[in-house]
Amino acid sequence: MSLPPGVNSKDFSDALKQFEEAVGKEWVFTSDEDVALYRDAYSPFWGEPEERVASAAVAPYTVEQVQAVMKTANEYKIPVYPISTGKNLGYGGSAPNLSGSVVLDLKRMNRILDVSERNHSALVEPGVSYFDLYRYIQERKLKLWVDVPDPGWGSPIGNALDHGGGYLRPEFRVHFDSHCGMEVVLANGDLLRTGMGAMPGAQTWQQYKLGFGPWIDGLFSQSNFGVVTKMGFWLMPEPDAYLSGTVTVPRYEDLIPMVDILTFLENSGVSNGMPGLGSPLLGGFMMPPPAPEVKAMLQAAEGGVASPELHKYAQDKGVPFWSCTVKFYGPAKAIRAQWEYAQEKFSAIPGAKFHDGAFYKLPLTPDQFDKVHKPEFGLPSLETFSIGARSPTNPTPTSGHIWFSPIIPRTGEAVLEANKVFSQAARDYGLPILSFSLPTTYWIRAFIFLFGFPITRDVATNKKNRESFKQLVRIAAEHGWGEYRTAPAFQDAVMDTYSFNNHALRRFHETVKDAVDPNGIISAGRYGIWPKHLRGTKA
Amino acid sequence: MASRREFLQAGIAASLLPMAVSGGNLALGERDEPAGFYKVIFDERFPASVAFGEEWKARGAAVHGIRGDITDLWFHDLDLQWKRQPLPIAGLTAHGPLFCLERLAWDRGMRVVSRVEQTAMHDGDPLIAWVIAPKTKPGVSA
Repeated sequence: MSLPPGVNSKDFSDALKQFEEAVGKEWVFTSDEDVALYRDAYSPFWGEPEERVASAAVAPYTVEQVQAVMKTANEYKIPVYPISTGKNLGYGGSAPNLSGSVVLDLKRMNRILDVSERNHSALVEPGVSYFDLYRYIQERKLKLWVDVPDPGWGSPIGNALDHGGGYLRPEFRVHFDSHCGMEVVLANGDLLRTGMGAMPGAQTWQQYKLGFGPWIDGLFSQSNFGVVTKMGFWLMPEPDAYLSGTVTVPRYEDLIPMVDILTFLENSGVSNGMPGLGSPLLGGFMMPPPAPEVKAMLQAAEGGVASPELHKYAQDKGVPFWSCTVKFYGPAKAIRAQWEYAQEKFSAIPGAKFHDGAFYKLPLTPDQFDKVHKPEFGLPSLETFSIGARSPTNPTPTSGHIWFSPIIPRTGEAVLEANKVFSQAARDYGLPILSFSLPTTYWIRAFIFLFGFPITRDVATNKKNRESFKQLVRIAAEHGWGEYRTAPAFQDAVMDTYSFNNHALRRFHETVKDAVDPNGIISAGRYGIWPKHLRGTKA
Repeated sequence: MASRREFLQAGIAASLLPMAVSGGNLALGERDEPAGFYKVIFDERFPASVAFGEEWKARGAAVHGIRGDITDLWFHDLDLQWKRQPLPIAGLTAHGPLFCLERLAWDRGMRVVSRVEQTAMHDGDPLIAWVIAPKTKPGVSA
């Protein structure tokens, strides 16, 4: 058993005994076999001395037990790393930023405390998974949908706190935005409720977010200022029907008005499902691969997707350059009218063509379940793990991935510029990213690109990919594009790019950290926030 | 349809599982299933895995076919069963399904107690014969 940094063996032993008294001996884990379960399966440092690993784990069952553990950790200055269900693969899993931390495993706190069909809301603990919440709703035949990510085995609380997202209407799609009220255990064991929860006996904890005074919920996301033990969420009323439709446009430059029209439709509330940009010519994520000659042109051309040869090919062959699929939830009559209105708007682009997509009267029948992308219907799934299997088209599957995920402006110009920049970077540095890509996540005012960097079990390959990842972070920042979320291995590098006014934001984070967690025991280093005694030694 | 080679390899994979049971630290459940398995999992996409499932079915085991995705198996079966009582399962699958099942099993105090990679038997992933069984002491979490 390793020791937490700066903690002697007697203090650690005493602290572990107090943890056992608080939660029960069987819920404190110190054996190598048990602690190994908290390794990040997708760690970019896998098997290297720098891999971030825990020293022990403790799994409380109640808020009172969390408070007791935190009081002990604070007394002995034991670094702790709270996790919910620990399934944050691609962004760090359940491994701590600081090796030697004790994982505070909240999986046993898996109570669904309230689900209101009238208020369309829920109150849950961190160990509740999307599957758990979905089952609870189904068993009670409630007309509610949960916005779930790919995959659905994670925790609504954990996902929201890490700024994860899903696929439903925009107000639910960014999971932190759809939360309403939280309960937090602070480093000294004190218990805090935010929003209306600060009022004893409040009737509106899951109804009104802002409470009274400064709204502090954001301080507990992507941070290390407290341990969130409860969170409320707004849920989507089950819609009457679903409809999708696709528009194709012929020319390279048509992407610009197409994105503008899409953004207008979404910001106006006309289109309310997560859209999807595509390219019938170029293929791309979740699209059929391009024709071999197109692929060759794309890889050979200096200008990448801007290559004149590609434009001529598209014109000569009559292959649309771009497509956009728009999706609608709502009353059947209304969403058919909304699709008609969307077509009127897109018709402003010469040569635009329209294709009706799927229409489903909801809820889906069991037969329809297998035909749809489940998260778009509020259905938790693990299907994404069957996509990366070895196959004739994927002969060398990796051991995992980390996501490079910059936020870029929601314009066609930005999409084209990002492709130019990232494809050039791929050429210059031999980066393992696609030569062409489109946004995969659509926030209400921004796009997110997702590039999967492979994780292998080969140290040299992982080292090269880590350096490439950092180069991309730097290149993106030079163009004003910042990461929205990243794995612990890169959180310092990303935080370095948020450097306005001599890193004023990070200095503010550190000021808060020193005030609310003066011993620096919670998730040291998470999102680039280091406690005072480690500051400057880890980045 | 499995080739003769695939069928024979599936038989080898099947025969490895009881050895894993008797040689490992498997804590069998009370349910009286052949070799103590609550379910035997096969992947309908791979002939060798299908042959493996058929062999276990012939032995009287309850089998469950997947097509790479374990969502239905998890949500409608294992999640409910393992909440009541963690019971051992076995399978011959690609890495992806085992990756998911292993992590879900950890959360219920279970472990992969046997993992034997087979040579590639199809155009797809190498298949893995595996057994998941309860730990002999309390699990990591509820």
